[in-house]
Amino acid sequence: MMLFFKECKKVLFSLTFLIYFVAVMAMYFTQFHNDCKEPIAAPVPGQESYGMIAKEIPDILMPAAAENLVRDYLSDSYRAYPVGFCKNVHLNEKKKQKMAKIITEITGISKEELDNFTDYEEGGFYIDENGAMAQLESNMPEINISQTLTYERFRELMREADDIIGGGSEYSDEYIVDNFSLVPETYEDALAEYNAFLEEDKITGAYARLFCDYMGIVLAILPVFAAVSLAALDKKSNMEQLAYSRKISSVKLIFTRYFALVTLLLIPVAIIALIADFKVCGMYPDASADIFAIFRCSAAWLVPNIMIAAAVGMLMTELTSSLLAIFVQGIWWFSGMFSSANGLTGCIGKFILIARHNSLYGLDAFMNSFSDFVFNRIFYAVISIIAIAVTAFIYEQKRRGIFNGYSFRFKIFKHKS
Amino acid sequence: MDIRSALKFLSINLKRNFVPHLIVALLIALLTPIIFAVSSLDERLAAQPIEMMLSLTGTALLTPIFLPEQNENIRDVIRSKRIDYMNVCIMRIIYSVIALFLIIGGFVLMMGFCESQITFRHLIGGFSSALFLGSLGFLVAGFSRNAPVGYMVSLIYYIANFAMKDKLGNLFLFSMCSGSFIEKYWLLTASVIMLTAGVFSCKIQNLFS
Repeated sequence: MMLFFKECKKVLFSLTFLIYFVAVMAMYFTQFHNDCKEPIAAPVPGQESYGMIAKEIPDILMPAAAENLVRDYLSDSYRAYPVGFCKNVHLNEKKKQKMAKIITEITGISKEELDNFTDYEEGGFYIDENGAMAQLESNMPEINISQTLTYERFRELMREADDIIGGGSEYSDEYIVDNFSLVPETYEDALAEYNAFLEEDKITGAYARLFCDYMGIVLAILPVFAAVSLAALDKKSNMEQLAYSRKISSVKLIFTRYFALVTLLLIPVAIIALIADFKVCGMYPDASADIFAIFRCSAAWLVPNIMIAAAVGMLMTELTSSLLAIFVQGIWWFSGMFSSANGLTGCIGKFILIARHNSLYGLDAFMNSFSDFVFNRIFYAVISIIAIAVTAFIYEQKRRGIFNGYSFRFKIFKHKS
Repeated sequence: MDIRSALKFLSINLKRNFVPHLIVALLIALLTPIIFAVSSLDERLAAQPIEMMLSLTGTALLTPIFLPEQNENIRDVIRSKRIDYMNVCIMRIIYSVIALFLIIGGFVLMMGFCESQITFRHLIGGFSSALFLGSLGFLVAGFSRNAPVGYMVSLIYYIANFAMKDKLGNLFLFSMCSGSFIEKYWLLTASVIMLTAGVFSCKIQNLFS
């Protein structure tokens, strides 16, 4: 226990922890706190608009998607989001032929007709010579969906088109409904959503997901710096050699260090979770909200983030004795961030590092992937413990003088140079 | 420092200190076309990969300038040498900045070949954002004598640009994506100030430690 408090003290008075504390607070106040200025108002009948909602309606989806596909073919530019950011994909001749075949099956327009259509105009708005806004009508072939084409076959063809583009396109299962089947939300839809927010989520449940969504972004990367920086401090003050000579077992030392680090890194999160709980309950004084929902949700959602980032930091530092840990976790974080940027609501895969749900609504979407979410969080917690066990093993090898990552690295560079 | 010893220092530094960080910077540049589109982009979209991804090459190249001397033993050896440590730092900054410029220049040129609408502004704008991130990491690493802290602050600032966007005012890194270039002059000026402050902080710390 003594060692645990010693390690806690070391973390607490480090510059990294101070920066971590400020960054976590800043993330909370600039993002979540900013979103909690006013309570969500109940929808009122007769409102001008309730927004748009994606509903899978074949009669809307099929013509819209087909028209877009023809437009993309004529301009040879297909929008896709393979890892989050938008990419414009251009097809080679072989793929163009495959795409034309799909268009022919959907609309009856042959490849020759498509290729001979040279007057294609994209359409849109522009400023005319008088400085006024003018609209340019798009010029493209008339699109008629084949009468014999079933909706199931159409979706199959869309999947094929998505494969040709390389995945993550507007025609993928993930995006097709959101892109081509948007309908105005009705009062009943809006009311049902609001009731789910009040009754099923009990208000704080929805805010808890939003809170964890924001905080999860920084907590999947910042703990690695704390872990690496502490190891660097040890090395700088020559504490490493001193620790090697102590009686304490490597397993006990490394696990105590790890739990001290995770505990300290959790403190700012626990503080802001409580602040957020009180802030949300204060916004809805008449509602019977669960006052500790955000605090509890953070424990399940955010602790594995801290655990895995800290574990990667400790393992990589011990293994390579270098700043490689930052690079590895940085790449992992970056790819996790941008792969989850594809969908910010209910975006929780089994192995995704950063679970996202950037909305106060969408309980259904979250519950649809709830089992994946539970698996994901347990998986990362377990992996973290395994990583720390490996760290303890490496540490023991270093203590015995069997392995030394630092000299190993230098030998490599010696040979190369 | 005479030319011969300067060249010797340069070659040792390039071999011992610079290569791993250059590899990281090149990896970032190589990863960029996988994440972002680089072909047939208009002027504004073309700024996206340069500002949002390539700017991290600055962090990779400039933050670890003080890294070798963060080992106490190496610092003691450096102190015993006749050559002014500040000159060594300046030399490291110069070759890192040149490498940064070349990486961004090469990438911008490659985007031009891929029929994206690239202008000289993309080069200067991308370079300014990368230099700013790198200088910030360099300054913090110098003051704290802890390179991970430098990386940490640099990355936090990078994340803040996604979260706070143009609320960062003249120091917004991704301004070309929203069609503005004026921020780049501020970023360049701030970078020069931070680099200078970092070098002097190191000199002062060396004198008093």
